[in-house]
Amino acid sequence: MESIHPTPPETSPPANEQATPIFSGKVQFSGKGGEFFGIWIVNILLSVLTLGIYSAWAKVRTMRYFYGHTRVDGHSFDYLATPMQILKGRILAVIVFLIYTFGSSFFPIIGLLFAVAFIFLMPWIINQGLRFNMRMTRHRNVRFSFKGNYGEAFVNFILLPIASIFTLYLLMPYVLKRIDSYIHSNISYGDTPLTVNLKGETYYLTALICFVVSSITMVIFMAILGLFGLDLLNVENQQNMQDPAAMTLMFGALMVAYVFMIAIVTAVWAAAIRNHIFDNSQFEDVASFKSQLRPIPFAILLLTNMLAIVFSLGLAYPWTKVRTSKMLAEVTTVNIYPSALNLVDTAQQEQSSFAEEAANVFDIDLSLT
Amino acid sequence: MHVQGHYFPKASSNYQHGVANISDTLVEISHDDQLISSYAINDITLTSGLAGLADELRFNDGSRFIPSDVNYRWPFKTDKHDLLERLEKSKWAILAAIIFTPLFMWLMLYKVVPAIAVYSVDTLPRSVVEQMGEQSFTLIEKLALDESELPIEQQDKVQQHFNTILNELSLEPSVYRLSFYKSESFGANAFAMPHGRIVVTDELANLLADKPDALKAVLLHEIGHVVHQHSVRMTAQSAASTIVLAVIFGDLEGIAEVALGTGATFAQQGFSRDMEREADSYALIQLEHLGYSSNDFADAIQALQSAHTSENEHIEKVNNLLEYLSSHPSAQERIDNARK
Repeated sequence: MESIHPTPPETSPPANEQATPIFSGKVQFSGKGGEFFGIWIVNILLSVLTLGIYSAWAKVRTMRYFYGHTRVDGHSFDYLATPMQILKGRILAVIVFLIYTFGSSFFPIIGLLFAVAFIFLMPWIINQGLRFNMRMTRHRNVRFSFKGNYGEAFVNFILLPIASIFTLYLLMPYVLKRIDSYIHSNISYGDTPLTVNLKGETYYLTALICFVVSSITMVIFMAILGLFGLDLLNVENQQNMQDPAAMTLMFGALMVAYVFMIAIVTAVWAAAIRNHIFDNSQFEDVASFKSQLRPIPFAILLLTNMLAIVFSLGLAYPWTKVRTSKMLAEVTTVNIYPSALNLVDTAQQEQSSFAEEAANVFDIDLSLT
Repeated sequence: MHVQGHYFPKASSNYQHGVANISDTLVEISHDDQLISSYAINDITLTSGLAGLADELRFNDGSRFIPSDVNYRWPFKTDKHDLLERLEKSKWAILAAIIFTPLFMWLMLYKVVPAIAVYSVDTLPRSVVEQMGEQSFTLIEKLALDESELPIEQQDKVQQHFNTILNELSLEPSVYRLSFYKSESFGANAFAMPHGRIVVTDELANLLADKPDALKAVLLHEIGHVVHQHSVRMTAQSAASTIVLAVIFGDLEGIAEVALGTGATFAQQGFSRDMEREADSYALIQLEHLGYSSNDFADAIQALQSAHTSENEHIEKVNNLLEYLSSHPSAQERIDNARK
């Protein structure tokens, strides 16, 4: 009898062989749902009582909790932003939002100009946000940094997405690849840049799988509806269905199917792309990564998260956040190489220089969230 | 007192095991009885405590000491530093937060935000309102309105009703202006722009041609919207509540955001219904004041309702189901309110 098992392929070593890692292991996440619940609910209460001002402190506490409970090689991450930086950014964002809302609803013609101006402002805001978040992240006394420029951000976040509309979105997977490459290849840890090597094929293949998965889900759902005598494509059938109970049932079923599909597609995309990015990014001689997020468990996690949030009227949110972080940590492996011990934090060294002082003035978090 | 932990020199990825010896004024870090560094307590920045996380010392030269015991809290920390952590761990505080947060949210969204909106709208200069009204109107005119095909005599008649109302209520005719348009998308309808322009569609004028008093009731309802500055208030309220929700629940993701968005939409629709009621009651009070009957208003609503219902019975069924989603109170409620 012939063997039906093909001979297992040789596990080929990575192309550019590195030194033996001094640490190789999973990311650890030690946060607990109960602990974070207390932080979260007190954050919300104080935010409401202070008309939103406390939300800046709330964000810092939440971020510090999640960063602090995420450990690589036994050392946690630090979130360094101060509430004042967040608050200033929020005030600015609120002002811009107000101008935009009032501008566009009261003066629709001027509103249009705002919208155009906003398109040109977007790349700067995106860069600012990435830069801020990286600078405020630290591991073992060395900070991360982000060095993107306006031109590239404009091409990747504005020009290419607009162009993809004219290709019936066929360009979109490529655009998403460009965006991920842009974000990750501009990250540094101390003085070591992250080198990334993403492949367009992976994005196209993943997009295709997502498309097929969503089509299959829809077909299965239509078939199930058909079993109950609800044929959505049959116009006559639709007109017969005027009884409010049946209508409510159908709306409900449609919502469930939609949520179900979104969760599955999100999980498929997130798993494939996250794994691809982690597996193909490294801080040369410092750290390399491996992600083994599997789509089905992740889809189940997302779905149960949604159900828990809906049926607990939102109270399960802290629990969902903690278990998501746990799953993502569990599937992520980090290898650390000897050079990791002699890194220098460039951001902190330059701190005295005038340019850096000036940059600090703009160190605010521009996002509302 | 000796505290075991790790010492991280400034701006470096390196670290070493160490022991912190605390005295009243100094913290000395040593390793195998060799002194590494010593810092005055005044030169140390403390971070506020967080559940399950080590309480690190940040020295002013950029180096740090992190105790191994995550539950250890430094003796020179003041109560102020740990107040939040104590709150977040206290069962009573958490219970109180679960109970009072929804209450405060409701107060915020339904009382504080609308009050702020009313106040800020009152301070808005007339010229700004005029500008925004004219601009929105130009846009609507281009998108949804066609030139009126109503005979001049009929237009004049309605215009005269309008003028009488303005005159009797001593409202400024340069603010309250009436225009006629034919509109397929609006059907039989009337609406008011924030700056006082009131549009009556041909379809509505024809529908109420033999019920002039009902038409007056409709005009009064629209005038009520302008008097109470509803469009401006609506924008202010929805912007303010969006900000409140975004700031407070900002870092939620996915389904939570959808739920929040739905909540905001419901709230907005609630505001809108309240405003319709306010305009209704304005119309009812003024009808009485001008010597008409509030039944005229009920007649108008009834006529409008049957006009819209006969257009498509199937759609009406769906509308009934989704009534709670609509931005107006139900026609029946409005009629009952007028007839009582």
